[in-house]
Amino acid sequence: MRKWIKIVISFMFLLILFVVSLTLGRYKIGTIDVLRVLFSPIYLKLANGIPDIARQLVLQVRLPRILGALFIGAGLGGSGTAFQAIFKNPLVDSNILGVTSGAGFGAALALLLMGSSLEVQISAFIFGLLAVLLAFFGSHLHKSTPLLILTLMGILIGSLFNSLTALLKYVADPLDTLPAITFWLLGSLTGITWQSLFPLAIITVLGIVFLWLIRWRLNILSLDDQEAKTLGLDPIKMKLIIIFITTLMTAAAVSVSGVIGWVGLVIPHAGRLFVGPDHKYLLPISLIFGGAFLLIIDNIARTLLPGEIPLGVLSGLIGVPILIALLRRSKTGW
Amino acid sequence: MKYKSTHLTLAFLIAGTLFTACMPIQKTQTSSNTTKELDGQPTNVQREMSENISENTETPTSNNRFTIEADDELKTSVAILYEAFFPDDTAMFVENGGDLVVTKTYECPDERPCILPTYLPESVMIQQSDKTDVYDFIAFAISIEGQQQLIDAGELLPQIKLDDQAGSTLEIPQPVSRVISTYGPATSFIYSVHAQDRLVSASYLGARDPKGAAVMEKMDSRFPEIMGDKFFTQTDFNVEQAAVLNPDLIVTSARTSWIEAADQLGLDVFLFNAETPERLKEAMQLTGKIFGPHSAAIADAWISYFDGSITAIQDQIAGIPEDQRVRVLFTGMDPLKVVSGDMYQTDIILAAGGISVSSELNGYWNDVNIEQVVLWNPDVIIVPPYGGASVEAITESSEWQILVAVQEGRVYQMPKLVVPWDTPAPDSVLGIVWIAQLINSESINIDCVTEAEYFYNTFYNYPITAEELAAICKFE
Repeated sequence: MRKWIKIVISFMFLLILFVVSLTLGRYKIGTIDVLRVLFSPIYLKLANGIPDIARQLVLQVRLPRILGALFIGAGLGGSGTAFQAIFKNPLVDSNILGVTSGAGFGAALALLLMGSSLEVQISAFIFGLLAVLLAFFGSHLHKSTPLLILTLMGILIGSLFNSLTALLKYVADPLDTLPAITFWLLGSLTGITWQSLFPLAIITVLGIVFLWLIRWRLNILSLDDQEAKTLGLDPIKMKLIIIFITTLMTAAAVSVSGVIGWVGLVIPHAGRLFVGPDHKYLLPISLIFGGAFLLIIDNIARTLLPGEIPLGVLSGLIGVPILIALLRRSKTGW
Repeated sequence: MKYKSTHLTLAFLIAGTLFTACMPIQKTQTSSNTTKELDGQPTNVQREMSENISENTETPTSNNRFTIEADDELKTSVAILYEAFFPDDTAMFVENGGDLVVTKTYECPDERPCILPTYLPESVMIQQSDKTDVYDFIAFAISIEGQQQLIDAGELLPQIKLDDQAGSTLEIPQPVSRVISTYGPATSFIYSVHAQDRLVSASYLGARDPKGAAVMEKMDSRFPEIMGDKFFTQTDFNVEQAAVLNPDLIVTSARTSWIEAADQLGLDVFLFNAETPERLKEAMQLTGKIFGPHSAAIADAWISYFDGSITAIQDQIAGIPEDQRVRVLFTGMDPLKVVSGDMYQTDIILAAGGISVSSELNGYWNDVNIEQVVLWNPDVIIVPPYGGASVEAITESSEWQILVAVQEGRVYQMPKLVVPWDTPAPDSVLGIVWIAQLINSESINIDCVTEAEYFYNTFYNYPITAEELAAICKFE
């Protein structure tokens, strides 16, 4: 029961963080005003007397971006936990099957063909899925431990798409499209609008619900396949379903944000240090930590300096000390 | 090119007409072609032709094609060139009324700098009659072959010592006749000092755009063959292709990644780093010096035009206090990528009498969020003419509607003919003019059309059309 309390407290912390995030920004808006604006869609008169700019900034700029950070962070954290369970390997995340490389290629292709941001998002999503599908069908060429071959195929397909992306960068105009491609590959939440948030939110929420429902099976799947079978579970079928769902989530996330590393790999470890390896607790805490972590990072990225700080810079600088602190205090087994 | 015409004496008119009539038409055609050719070869062809002619006419002396009026100190060098170009003939100097005036003391009568053929430093040739021979002779005097003659005679140095913009000193043998440019701005430096005939391979700015490529083809018929993006870029250098082209000199950006490799092959690499107005002027000056006195003179003319334009603008807005200047946001290929204070765009906004709101940033294109833009609250937003940037990307985006500049429709795209006007290239002088007219139209008397017409005619030798002018000088 103490673990549930930890999770509930973490969730409360996330809610507070969410509201605090809304009050942060380059443009100063008071906390009370932010709250009035936030509830104004429910009770219109609340926003009376607040300048239009402040209302627009909170509702049209900050809110979608903060929700985006939450969904992407939770999605990546949850997917990472699931992947580490089914691959029985604490050093993988949902990128292992090439989804990010595929999405990167899809985005680069759309940018090269001068797509709008919506086209880039769709193309990244489709190619992210395509990469994993290729890895999946490729793995059937060989009849042995499917998961090992699947991993190998994922790495191969990932490097294939990385090469294709490099090819696109080679032919891209150094003045035009090349910087856009490079920037996309770096990852950023700047471009999130309600429009791009919508598909991301649907896929992520459905994915989270699914992972939540099967979280106890993750424990079984992280055991031997033989043991899983004796417990009445078809491990391979289950793993494929999980891979499919988490790939959808990851593709949805990276298609909006670009490549964001680190979260899927490290957040599950932070969760384990906090509540232990039981997926009943680990999955919820990974979702919460993932969302909270990306939100904190992004808050700093968008407010500290006039220019946006790349997420990759902050995730390591802030994440590593937190993780080391957790490691020192914790005595949990893996 | 305008020349002050003076009267010709009747006698010279008659003599000139007689001699021109005596000349076989073939001769003049050959020599005018010769001067446009590259390599040293055509000179031999031309010499053979001249020999044939002298046999035919059988008047080896006093066969003066035209008369020359020259400063005393310049007579030797002119005679050297004359006798190299017309081996059967000797130069005939007159006190006044010559068909050709060669002088060190010419003052340009126009308000804007004018470019005159300059065969030795500060020594210009002024054509005073419309004889083809005079024209051909002048073209020869400023050509690679003419430069070679002057070097052989000791009038010009056989090699020059220059510090490039990355701090290394190069000894460059003269004349430089085969150049690879792997850096778009450097290519525009070379075109604007009229040395594009020396290019054997070049990377271009703005020429991937079909419209830009079409203009380039009109500007230079060799453009399709020398466009070298396939082989040479800032990041890649095809050594074997370079060996095939056998360049005298390679010009590129100081940020180039293969400099050491090229050094080890013994290729002379000249590095440019022109990303401020001062450095751009220096780069133009260096480019001029590399290619000899004529290019050097054009570079100087460009520098005085650039300085003159900025001074004129600054004088006219001197009365506007700092806090009332127009606040400009220059954004990039993505509306939320903005220029930094280190970038050239900030300099040209300042030169045009505006304030670049994002000048507190450092580095290259900076990513910002819309809140920061709201905080800056720019009066005018400018997007560049490349990278898929468009006015619509801003005006049709819902989050940008918060901005007053967007609500009032003050979002503009910077023009270009070929080279974008916001890049550190000679064309950026027009970027300054355009921004000045855009943001200070009430307090400044400056006209983009006039300046662009002068600029492209003078520095790119390109007779820009009225349609092209209308397309580039627009403010909507």
